[in-house]
Amino acid sequence: MGKAWWAIVPVLVILFGLLSYGLTSNPKHIPSPLIGKQFPIIEGKDLNGNSVTLGVIDGKPTVVNVWASWCAACRTEHNVLIRGARRYGNNISLVAINYKDELANAKRWLNQLGDPYQWSFHDLSGRAGLELGVYGVPETFFVNKQGIIVEKISAPLTDAQFAAGVELMNK
Amino acid sequence: MKKYKKTILVFLLTLFISSSVFSAEVAEDPIERKMLDIAEKLRCTVCQNQPVAESRSELATDMKDLITEKLKQGRSEQEIIQYFVDRYGDYVLLEPPQSGNGALLWIMPPMLLLLAVLAAVLMMKSRREKLAFTPPPTLSDADKERIRLAREDDSGKK
Repeated sequence: MGKAWWAIVPVLVILFGLLSYGLTSNPKHIPSPLIGKQFPIIEGKDLNGNSVTLGVIDGKPTVVNVWASWCAACRTEHNVLIRGARRYGNNISLVAINYKDELANAKRWLNQLGDPYQWSFHDLSGRAGLELGVYGVPETFFVNKQGIIVEKISAPLTDAQFAAGVELMNK
Repeated sequence: MKKYKKTILVFLLTLFISSSVFSAEVAEDPIERKMLDIAEKLRCTVCQNQPVAESRSELATDMKDLITEKLKQGRSEQEIIQYFVDRYGDYVLLEPPQSGNGALLWIMPPMLLLLAVLAAVLMMKSRREKLAFTPPPTLSDADKERIRLAREDDSGKK
């Protein structure tokens, strides 16, 4: 073995490093390019047919949660949202996008589990979801007072994530 | 009647064969073609390594509808792809971009190949040097002088 052979070691180390990073990181986790961008203003109807506009609500930092009654993970997440609304409700707005859902199913779901949202934007076509880069429910956007998306969680929210998101919004 | 049997059969056969002439021509919708071209370049974000064009997932279907709609509005391919990149990131592109972080992916394979070739050349060179005969050492002037003296000395004894 000549000295030249040893030159290959750092190359291999780097390659295996990249490979192991790639294999251990979660392929479902896609960093959102929307963080740091303005939350788009999207107009539509809520579950009761009232006109609503997604964006900053009541001039407060706004949490926008994307859910659907057919989404099992949303069910486990729901209590986190109810607790979050109770804890931070005075200082933030909490609204939702009801994603590709039947009106009746969505309403029944909220009746059974409780409704922590000011309203749920009814996105039957999924068009608002595409506008927001949604690829699966649940997803949650944290939007500060200026309308900038400061955090996006593409998984069932935890209490800790909710608290961290609120902190980011108030920064 | 038996006489005409063959004629009737041939007549029916020609009718059958020519039937395709009467069928409506299947026209290819240029917007659909263009839509599929674009959808071929986009990754279906819920199914990892499948282009939107090939996926039957709900999200991919929605994306295809949106592409068609935007094409009808007269948007260019670039604008539509950018729309998705702005919302889903570079990840949505099946072919990584040739700038920024993506450039690394494109540059690395040829770089590694170059490195491998370089290593091989160096190794072969060092091996050839090891195998080559060492040339006979040339005598320095001092050596030659010593030899001359030695010979003279020798011849003097005789």
